[in-house]
Parts: sequence; C-alpha cells; structure tokens
Amino acid sequence: MGLKWYTARRVAWAGVVAFVILTVTFVLLEHAPDAQLARVQFQAAASGRSAEAAAEAYARRRGLQGPLWERYLEYLGNLASGDWGWSDSRSQPVVTAILTALPYSLLYTIPAVLLSTVLGIGIGLYSAFNQYTKTDYAATFVAFFGVSIPNFWFGIVLLLVFAVRLGWVPVLFDAELARTRPLSLANARQLALPVFVLATSAIASTMRYARAEALEYVRAAFVKTARAKGASDWRIITRHVLRPTLVPLSTILVGDLLGVILSASYLVEVVFGIPGLGRLSLDAIRRQDTALVLGTTLVPVFVAVVGNLLQDLAYGWLDPRIDYGDR
Amino acid sequence: MPGDERSGPGGGDVTDPTSDRSRERFEDVDWETIDADGRRVSTTQLLALVAGGLYALALAYDVLLAAGDPTVEVVVAESRFLWDATGVDWLFVATLLVLGFAAVPLARNRRLTAYYWQRFRRHRLAVLSLVYLVVIFLLGTVGTLFIDPPTLHVAAGYQPPVFLSVDVSIPTQCLGPVVDGRCQGTWRYPLGTTGSGKGLLALAIFGMRVSLQVGLIATLISVTVATAVGATAAYAGGWVDEVLMRYVDVQQTFPTFFLFLFLAYLYGGSLFVLIVIFGLTGWGGIARIVRSEALQRREETYVQAAQSAGASGASVVWRHIVPNVSNSIVTAATLNVPVLILSEAALSFIGLGDVMLPSWGQTIAAGRGDLATAWWISTIPGLFLFATILAFNFLGDALRDALDPRQEVGR
Repeated sequence: MGLKWYTARRVAWAGVVAFVILTVTFVLLEHAPDAQLARVQFQAAASGRSAEAAAEAYARRRGLQGPLWERYLEYLGNLASGDWGWSDSRSQPVVTAILTALPYSLLYTIPAVLLSTVLGIGIGLYSAFNQYTKTDYAATFVAFFGVSIPNFWFGIVLLLVFAVRLGWVPVLFDAELARTRPLSLANARQLALPVFVLATSAIASTMRYARAEALEYVRAAFVKTARAKGASDWRIITRHVLRPTLVPLSTILVGDLLGVILSASYLVEVVFGIPGLGRLSLDAIRRQDTALVLGTTLVPVFVAVVGNLLQDLAYGWLDPRIDYGDR
Repeated sequence: MPGDERSGPGGGDVTDPTSDRSRERFEDVDWETIDADGRRVSTTQLLALVAGGLYALALAYDVLLAAGDPTVEVVVAESRFLWDATGVDWLFVATLLVLGFAAVPLARNRRLTAYYWQRFRRHRLAVLSLVYLVVIFLLGTVGTLFIDPPTLHVAAGYQPPVFLSVDVSIPTQCLGPVVDGRCQGTWRYPLGTTGSGKGLLALAIFGMRVSLQVGLIATLISVTVATAVGATAAYAGGWVDEVLMRYVDVQQTFPTFFLFLFLAYLYGGSLFVLIVIFGLTGWGGIARIVRSEALQRREETYVQAAQSAGASGASVVWRHIVPNVSNSIVTAATLNVPVLILSEAALSFIGLGDVMLPSWGQTIAAGRGDLATAWWISTIPGLFLFATILAFNFLGDALRDALDPRQEVGR
C-alpha cells in the first residue's frame, strides 16, 4: 500500500471519528436531565398553569419535537453546515460567540506553543548530550514540576506575587487593550503570566520526549563518524541529532501538545480573566446555556481530531520506514 | 528470576535413563491429591470471601436498615463517634479492600519484594514521596474519622496562619494576640481560616480524603476496565481486537478534560458521579499499554503450555497473561492517579463539583477573591495539591524503573 492509500484511509478514519463523537454527544444530550426544562415546568406549575403544556411549548421552541432520527439528522446537518445553534445567555449565534472569543485565546496560546516547543526541544537536546549531569537532573526536575503543578493554582500564585505584591503586571486583563493594540508593550505585559503558565505545563512533555528521542542518536554510529571527521558540536547537534529526532517528535508533539494546551488554556483564562474560549465555555456552563456548552466543547474536540489526523499524516510523510499496512 | 531454582515434580531427571529408579516419575505422581490441592480454598481466598461477605452485610444494613440514620454511632463517655457512610465511602472501602488483597502476592514472595524495594530505594525522592503519601493516606482515611469536619464560624474569619501576622483590620475578629496593630495567628487554627471561618488545616485534611477517593476509586475502575479490554483485545486478536482498540482510539481523541467537563455539566458534579465519569471514560491509555504488553506475553511458551493443557481463553488471560502484565498495570495506575486528582481539583475549581464538599479545588476557588488581603486561603490547599500530584508522579516514575527493567533507557 502506498502513501496515497494511507492518506485516504487516515482522512476517512478522522471522518468516522468525528461522526462517532457527534453521535455520542447527541445521545448524551438526549439522555441528560434538562435543567432549563425543569425550570420552565416549575415556573408553570408555580403560577398555576399546566406543567405539561409548558414543557410542550418549550420543546416546540427548542425544536425538540418529532421522531428521534429526524432530530438526529437535523442535528448533524446543522453542525455540518455551520449552524451551531443559538446562545440564550448571549443572545447571539453560538458560532459568532466562538469567533469573537477565539482571537483572545490565540493571543496567548500561540506564543506559549512556540516558546515551549523551542525551549523544550532545546533543553531536551542539551539534557541528552549532558546525560546524568547536574543540569540534566535540574531539567528533569523542571519537567516533573511542569507536569505536576496545577496550572490554575500556579497562575494564582504568580498573580499574587507579580501583580498584587510587586505590581509588575496588571491584575485584571484588559480586553479592550488586547483588541485595539495587540502588539503594544502594555499588552505583552498583561499576557506575560498566562503565556508563562501555559508554557510551563506544555514544556515538560516536549522536553522529556526530545531527551528520550535524542538519546537514541547521541551514541549512534553516524554521530561518532561525524565527530571523528571533526564536525563541530553545533553541527552534530543540528545536522545529525536534531534532524532524525524531529521526525518522531513532530508527530508526538501535535497530539500531546494539543491536549495540554487545550485543557490548560481553559483554566488559565478563568484565572486571568481573559475573555477567550475557556471563559466563554465556563460562562455558558454557569448559565446553563447548553447550545454554547456544546459548541465550546466541540471546538477542542475537532481541533483534536484534525490534530490527530495531521499527526498520522506527518508520520507517513516524514518517516519512510512506516508500515502502511498497519491500519 | 527468583524462584527458578525450584524444580517441579519430576524435574529434569525424568528423561535421564541413568537416574535413580526410586525417583518420582510422571506415572507415579498422584494427580488426585494435586487436583484436590488446586481445588482447596486457600487462606487468602477464605479471607477475601469473609471480607466480601462482611462488606455485603454492612452495605445491606446501611441501605435497608439504617437508611436515613448514621451508619455507625458509638457513644463513649462524653464523645460521640458518628459516621454516616455515603455511596462514595462504600466505594472507597471496597477499593481499599481490593488494594489490600492485591498486595498479598507481594507479602508472600518476600524475595521478590525485597528485590523491587532495593531497586525502588535508589530513587530518594520517590521514597520521600512514598512517606508523604502514606501520611496523607492515613490522615485522609483514619484521621478524618476522628477530626471534626470544618464548620462555619463567621467570627473567626480570615485568621492568619500561626507564626504569621496580618493587619488587624483584615480578620473579622482577631483570635490571637494583637501586637503593634497586627493580628497574629493562633494554634487553634494552625493554617489560618477562610472568609467564613473554616479552619484551613481541617479543610486540607478533609480535602485529602476527597482527592484520595477520586484518585484511588476511579483508577481502580479504570484499571479493571482497561485490563479486561486490553488483555481481551490482545489475546483474542482479529476483529475483537480491531473493534475494541478502534473504540479506544475514538475515546482517546476526545480531549479528556473536555470529556469530563461536558459529562459533569450534563449529569451533575456530585463526587459519586464524578468518580464514575472518571473511572468509565479515562481508561483508554492504560488499555493500550496492557494490550501492547499482553501481545508479547501471548507468544510466551507458558501460554502455549496452558493452551495445550486445555485451559480456556478466560483462564489463560486471568491466570497467565494478567499476572504477567501486572507490573505495567501498577505503573500506569500510579501515574493515572495524579491526573484524576488534578482533574477533580480543576473541575471543582471552576465550580462544577459539589459545592458542599471540602475539596482542595473548591477551597482554592473560594480564596481567589481575597488574594490581596488573605493570600493563605488559596495558596495553602494548592500546596497540598501540588505536593500530592508531584509525589504520585515521582512514585510512578520510580515504580516504572523498579518493576519494569526493560524500560530502562541508556542506563
């Protein structure tokens, strides 16, 4: 089987995964107790009207009538065509709400991903070349620290020290400033802590993977040859170790980094008051706005599906040794 | 491997024609007694049966007879000992029982245990973590039975931790000595109090129980499901393997945190529901590890021997494959616990958990508004949370090293 067949199969599989996940969410939504419905019924009963009639009116308004499969098809069709429903709490379409919030999330996730990738690979390579030295142990400890520290608590502690005590950064995030002057120094200052918190949690796994992968090549025969021919350390690191390391690393990174970044950013936004996707989702949860909760949950899910697909494809393209027949 | 020098009945001499004729030969083995030996109930099995029976009786008593009343009520002199066991408590007791019996093979095979301990001991941080976790475990299980749960005490709000002092205007009413206009902490509340006057030490200790319950119960559920799925997939192969592992693929694609978040939103965030959600949806990673290990074990000669002796598939999986992948399972389970503790803390931090529960995440969230004046409310429970997660991660890493020599990279 060739690369084309492999690619086609992976793309088809991603489609299947997306479909299964959507179906499962539909079933979950169907079976979950509807808090809004309960409220409507309670209000009707309290004011002396029929709770059943109120429930029916509610179902009609929300499009919850008709046979199950019809609603299921409509649900799939709506999601596919970009109609993700109406957010009651914000009085705007879910898609609009998400698109408004997304730039704020990207504003600090992109720098954090770049920072953690570059630093993580750098430190990982350094650790591999200086295995079992003090620096290597320090790097390992930093990795454990990054994995273990609850990032929402870390954010709070940093806010306490740098914003409340030292006053170096503002306590509250100024969305207006981020929107009008995204490249200003003031904006960079208020983004410094969120980027740092996110980068610490993401850097740990990158560092560990980079170290483990690079270790395979540090003592490889071709590296010894290069050294014997008099290649400089820098050349050995960049040409002979980094290049083969990048192949498995790039594939691990997509999937692993995505998971960390997606969930960490949620809490980081809550702590720092950034009006991004996580904040939007939390507000939706607090106001029982199910359409918006679904929308904000599906965004990271689709990002993960696409990320996994890219990871598999990257593996196929970058590593000629892969066995296409496996899946 | 230790224990290899022990030779079985007949040993290797049976095929040797020059050996002593009086030695026991295959035909001489009294298979009746050996079969009877296998059927006899061992002490451990008997103990497990008794424990299970007692547990079922106690559970039935709590559900049927003591429905609304406290389960245990002992009055000794002045002090009353009350314990109204909840559903989570029952799950927790069951988990501890299972964990206790899971350690039996270790206690029986002293040499193996000593060998593992020797390898484990090399990691000093992991030994330290183990001590810390044992303390947390004892405080969270036994300690919480004897300590009063944190109660509202509005007059005692915002007390600073002992040895520290804050401006006298901050606490609702300073319980300690006031020196130079600063309120000092008292030993009555060694770690200070929250805005509603709950002692942070008591909150931290009760938080230990919540975290342990989430981490241990949900991990046990996950490990059970993951082992069943992973071992079955590996042993059966073919379309069973394909279906099971493709399902795991789909489940793993859904980012764990958002899966927990979405389910907790839809089905409510009581501790019981949370544990069930964590346990039933978080096992994908462990199942993959079990499967890849079991695939190797399946090719071993002892599995072929069992098969040719007529053992059923279930018995081969349960008696030969699962025990031989248990090292990987223990490591994966240890590393699964901190993830779940962190998830629970995160969910209760954003307000999806049970508001009445003294969980660490809950307390951290409660102190956020008072960061400028009462910094200790958010930071102290977070320190415990951080230390616990770190300890589990160190422990898991050292266990991987001790239990699984093949994973050693470049040592």
